Amino acid sequence: MSAHPSRAASDAPVLSVRDLRIEFPLGVVVDGSSFDIARGQTMGLVGESGSGKSMTSLAIMGLLPKEATTTGSARFHGNELLHRSDASMRRTRGDQIAMIFQDPLSSLNPYYTVGFQIAEAYRAHKGGTKAAAMRKAAEAMDRVRIPDAAGRVGHYPHQFSGGMRQRVMIAMALVCEPDLIIADEPTTALDVTVQAQILDLLAEVQEMTQAAMLFITHDLAVVSQISDHVTVMRFGRTVEQGTAEQIFSSPRKDYTRALLAATPRLDDVVDLPEPILTKGGE
Amino acid sequence: MSDIATPLLAAKDLSKEFRTGRRETFTAVEGVSFDVHRRQTLGIVGESGSGKSTTARMIARLIDPTSGSVEFQGEEITQHSGASLRDFRSGVQMVFQDPYSSLNPRHTVEEVVSAPLRYQKRTAAGGCRSMVKAAMERVGLNPDHSTRYPRQFSGGQAQRIGIARALIVEPKLVICDEAVSALDVSVQAQVLELLVDLQRERDISYIFIAHDLAVVRQIAHKVAVMQKGRIVEQGPRDEIFDDPQHEYTKALLASVPSIDPRWDAGRRS
Repeated sequence: MSAHPSRAASDAPVLSVRDLRIEFPLGVVVDGSSFDIARGQTMGLVGESGSGKSMTSLAIMGLLPKEATTTGSARFHGNELLHRSDASMRRTRGDQIAMIFQDPLSSLNPYYTVGFQIAEAYRAHKGGTKAAAMRKAAEAMDRVRIPDAAGRVGHYPHQFSGGMRQRVMIAMALVCEPDLIIADEPTTALDVTVQAQILDLLAEVQEMTQAAMLFITHDLAVVSQISDHVTVMRFGRTVEQGTAEQIFSSPRKDYTRALLAATPRLDDVVDLPEPILTKGGE
Repeated sequence: MSDIATPLLAAKDLSKEFRTGRRETFTAVEGVSFDVHRRQTLGIVGESGSGKSTTARMIARLIDPTSGSVEFQGEEITQHSGASLRDFRSGVQMVFQDPYSSLNPRHTVEEVVSAPLRYQKRTAAGGCRSMVKAAMERVGLNPDHSTRYPRQFSGGQAQRIGIARALIVEPKLVICDEAVSALDVSVQAQVLELLVDLQRERDISYIFIAHDLAVVRQIAHKVAVMQKGRIVEQGPRDEIFDDPQHEYTKALLASVPSIDPRWDAGRRS
């Protein structure tokens, strides 16, 4: 019954990245990244622009442009992901490893219904009839709580709000029951109220499927809410790694402390100049 | 105590409808009123489509309101044109979200920063360059870089160019439309600090539009919360953040992700 025999050995990490180094002709963008993610755990990869966090995820998915040179290793259930053929990577990607990106509108094809696109993702890996795949699509949409999922499989991406589109992307990521979910800034483009719902949904989905998750974001507050472990990156290097609690309660590195200090807080009270409310008054 | 001053800017019952078809209109902003005093910052928060940017554009006279009025220093400006509009615009400047797309990539920093002076026809011979250099220096840019192009600067530096451009005509009001949203947090903190320093120094007022409530708390004296084109609640910063009355404000505040307070070591004390 298990398509994933290695699930039995639950102590072994689902994803194990070692000394990952990514170099472009113009320079090194990731220099020695190492981390493990176990089943049901989330690794938050956090950093500012240019830190190499997205490059790390693209390398794991085999989506780096051809001019990039990678060394080191990224093992998924013990199998090397780097330097695989495109065809072999395509079999894994979308099936055992799913991806969720920042902008659902550009990740979805505007010409096809969302049900068709989810069903295609399923059929590409699992086969079966179109009708069966469409039922799977409706099920997946229902699981991410898109209201009236069975009725909405026939709708096009533009007929959904931003938050609902991101739910469609999550449904597509889940339909093949992946062991690893890579989410790259999945809530960055969303309004805060929608972001809160999507973060709840991702946590819930992970609880249910026990997938490992690599969650990439620039937002420390988001990371603190969703991660078990955190890796802080800067200029391609790992600055600090630890449990979420350790990183946020006792950061060891100056850069981590500076990032935390720069993160605005809702209950921070800052001194501002006094407005001039009276005539000629100070 | 002397008398209450006339607000620097007062928006009264502003509305904006856009035509979406032959007989259809979409109301982007409806019945919005607020005022801003000197050296005061009004934060306008809301989610996408709430009408906050449309409001900003009406205040800056980039678009005309369908109804309502805007008074600047006690004077109605919605009908201004020509020289009087130009005068108004020397008093009100804007800073936008994306410095790269709001700064002409083919113009040097000097040309970009001095553009409002040229529009104002205030190009006193020889004075322009020294004003540009002074403005660059004030926002923390190296004045020797005035012959470079916007793309040669980082996002935070490019946003400083946008601020220098706004400052050069010594405006009384600067409208910041998501001015720090695209910046990394460490850069964002520096730009916010610069804006507050400039306010202290020059008595500037800001209308600070942002979707990020935590950022608004760092800079605004008072806050207006917009939803679907209307202001659902407005008041002094601490009242809005600590004791929100409207359901939507409560929902917005509850949705803001925060660093788990048990762990939060980076909190300023």
